[in-house]
Amino acid sequence: MIDKLDSLAGLVHTPLFGILLTLVSYRFALWVYGRSNSLPLFHPFLVASIPVIVVLPLVGVDYEEYRDQTTLISFLLGPATVALAWPLYRQLHTVRSVLTPILIATVLGAFISAAIAVGLAWWLGAPAEVVGSLAPKSITTPIAVEVVQSTGGYVSLAAGAVAITGIVGALAAGPIFRLLRVTDDRIKGFALGLVAHAIGTARAFEYGEKAGAFAGLALGLCGLVTALALPWLWPWVAQYL
Amino acid sequence: MIDGLLILLFFQFLGEVLIRLTGIPLPASVVGMVLLLLALLLNAPFSQRVAPAAGALIKHISLLIFPLGVGIVLQWHRYEDYALALGVAVVLGTLLSLVLVTVMLKKLLGGKHGESRGGSHDR
Repeated sequence: MIDKLDSLAGLVHTPLFGILLTLVSYRFALWVYGRSNSLPLFHPFLVASIPVIVVLPLVGVDYEEYRDQTTLISFLLGPATVALAWPLYRQLHTVRSVLTPILIATVLGAFISAAIAVGLAWWLGAPAEVVGSLAPKSITTPIAVEVVQSTGGYVSLAAGAVAITGIVGALAAGPIFRLLRVTDDRIKGFALGLVAHAIGTARAFEYGEKAGAFAGLALGLCGLVTALALPWLWPWVAQYL
Repeated sequence: MIDGLLILLFFQFLGEVLIRLTGIPLPASVVGMVLLLLALLLNAPFSQRVAPAAGALIKHISLLIFPLGVGIVLQWHRYEDYALALGVAVVLGTLLSLVLVTVMLKKLLGGKHGESRGGSHDR
């Protein structure tokens, strides 16, 4: 009997357990998100994390082991990043007429977002690894967790910072646009996609198709520009940290 | 679906090959994304078949990410000393960026192509 219980308890140390826990948590989070009418505060990233954070310590599985169990899932981040070329390709066609100002805006915007995050964290005394984790916080998560390896940051911190950035951006967008008297849906969409990546893009679709398309474009371009620039620029920035 | 997955993995692999040959410090998947974008823009055969797999992966991106994100709580001892810096940089930094980026966009895009102005009511 004791043997059987032991072998049953050993189940928590298999990939099957980790992946099942991940999928159940995610399914639960999707349900919550649907019930909340897609409120940014109930984003699946946050809600799905809660059962995992509660269950792992209870069954005695640490974070490193859980990451090993779920490598099958995180492996898919690679092809998911490559997949971003598809929406980018579709939206490039819709904005041909304003492509030049869009590209200038992307480069400036990507720089502003990264510089503010890095500057504030550095000013408040965070060490180099923490500052490096925040540099890609405005870009879409699959790209951010790749880029953070070139800035010597922590993957988990980067993923968390990106998610919270998206949620804060999506929540603050309405008041900020009213304050700045933005009436152009293209600007609302582009600003949301640039600063708040995928979560901001979901929010932008509430302003309409046009805002959503511009957000999707900004998300793709901002991720691309940051991923292409940061690995080259970082060694120079890191000297001053 | 299988075609799409095959194309995505193939381009990621191409990215990996290119990085190993040239030594450029970029993530392989980002290089793969650029190569796939070029293939799509050049109307390469089969490239459109990427759509179903690409759509499914992007739709469920949170599922792929959050197992990494839980580390922020489970390894909090690593970050707790910098909680203030983190909170300010992430929350205040995001608000500041959003304001600055919006102002910049109004300067860059405002005035031209203003056809969408009539369609919005919140003022």
